[in-house]
Amino acid sequence: MIEIKDLFFSYTNKPPFVLHDINLNINKGDYISVLGDNGSGKTTFIKLLLKLLTPTSGTISANSLKIGYVPQRFENLNTQFPITVFEILDCYRKTLKIKDRSCILKYLDIVKMSGFKNALIGTLSGGQCQKIFIARALMGEPDLLILDEPSSGVDNQSQSEIYSLIKRVNRTDKITVISVEHNLKAAIENSTLIYHISEGHGHLCEPENYIHEFIKENKGDDDIATI
Amino acid sequence: MIGDTLAHASLAGIAVGLVMNANPIIMAFLATTIFGIAIEFLRSYFKKYAELILVIVLSFSIGIAITIISSGHAHANVESFLFGSVLTVTREDFYLVLMLVVISLITIFLFYNQLVFITFDEEGAKIAGIKQKLINYIFAILVAATISVCIRIVGVFVISSMIALPVATALQLNKGFKWTLIFSMIFSFVDIMSGIIVSYYINAAPGGVTALVSVILLLIVILIKYLWYTYYRVKSE
Repeated sequence: MIEIKDLFFSYTNKPPFVLHDINLNINKGDYISVLGDNGSGKTTFIKLLLKLLTPTSGTISANSLKIGYVPQRFENLNTQFPITVFEILDCYRKTLKIKDRSCILKYLDIVKMSGFKNALIGTLSGGQCQKIFIARALMGEPDLLILDEPSSGVDNQSQSEIYSLIKRVNRTDKITVISVEHNLKAAIENSTLIYHISEGHGHLCEPENYIHEFIKENKGDDDIATI
Repeated sequence: MIGDTLAHASLAGIAVGLVMNANPIIMAFLATTIFGIAIEFLRSYFKKYAELILVIVLSFSIGIAITIISSGHAHANVESFLFGSVLTVTREDFYLVLMLVVISLITIFLFYNQLVFITFDEEGAKIAGIKQKLINYIFAILVAATISVCIRIVGVFVISSMIALPVATALQLNKGFKWTLIFSMIFSFVDIMSGIIVSYYINAAPGGVTALVSVILLLIVILIKYLWYTYYRVKSE
């Protein structure tokens, strides 16, 4: 589905590279959580997948894929902008040239937010906001859903609702999911694979092996017990 | 802030126009368009310092304007452009405004979704396939054109308040984008018409009166909103 080959990336187009020699095959139906410390290159990695950045060298073959993107709530969004939930989804619908207007309510129903269609986005909590953006991303019936820290600034109840929703669209609708995570517990519980990025180098592993492969060597047993 | 910067950029255009004996409104349009596009261009290079770019452009354009005007090379009365007067509006200006209204309405009709999407979520719009740079440039030109045709009526000094204040008033109503846009236009119309009428009776420049009316209307709306919420809070207790 997506083949990343010999990928190097640097913001200045010369060494030092933010991402080094990344090789990864992503298959349909995978749920990959991208983990790593701050500044390890996780966000750069998804920006490359979203074609917001161009690789310095190497290739990403992900042609003709429909991508749905769920941004980090407070990262680039103007949440004080006077716009209702319905207007956000309607704007996206028209951009994607989806004729059926009723699909807005259908996707709001899926994320259990139909009661908030006339609410201003700035009045919603972190979890509610995240669900709206998941509904927006799903509306385009994507092949690939990319999420940037979906549980950031979200309460525990909403976190479990959001992860069960992501898991459902992945397992039932076979939508491939790539999620940048800081929530290790959620990543291990929900994803089918974990892609660990450390100092620009990537490594793919099974969730059940992740702790032993990456955490144990860097952290003590006490840290693992808290997970 | 961009309105304020472009208004001052228009003053540079007017000053150049008066020196060259060219139509000052056309020159103002050219200056605001060039500076508007320059701001858009620089914004992609100084992502975290957007406000700083506006200050640089504002200083540069006001520098050009003051230098030309104070050197005595401008062969006409600059004051009418600074303070605005409806009496100086010519038939030619009227048709120019009318033409701009039609162009603005068509542009908003054609690019409404793209404009809303980009303003709210620029990155998301780019990912969804919107030509974000092109739309931003179109919008910058539209703002530049609006400012230049309004100069004669309200003047350079208060033009930015005419762009920002009706929107600030409409934002108090806590509505979605479409209704905020509609209410902004209604408030804008009320501000300008009242400004012109009052300025006639007190024999003052309409620009200044319009700015005062805009602020008063904003304060009235804030007060009504506060009383409304207080009434409902007391009622629910």
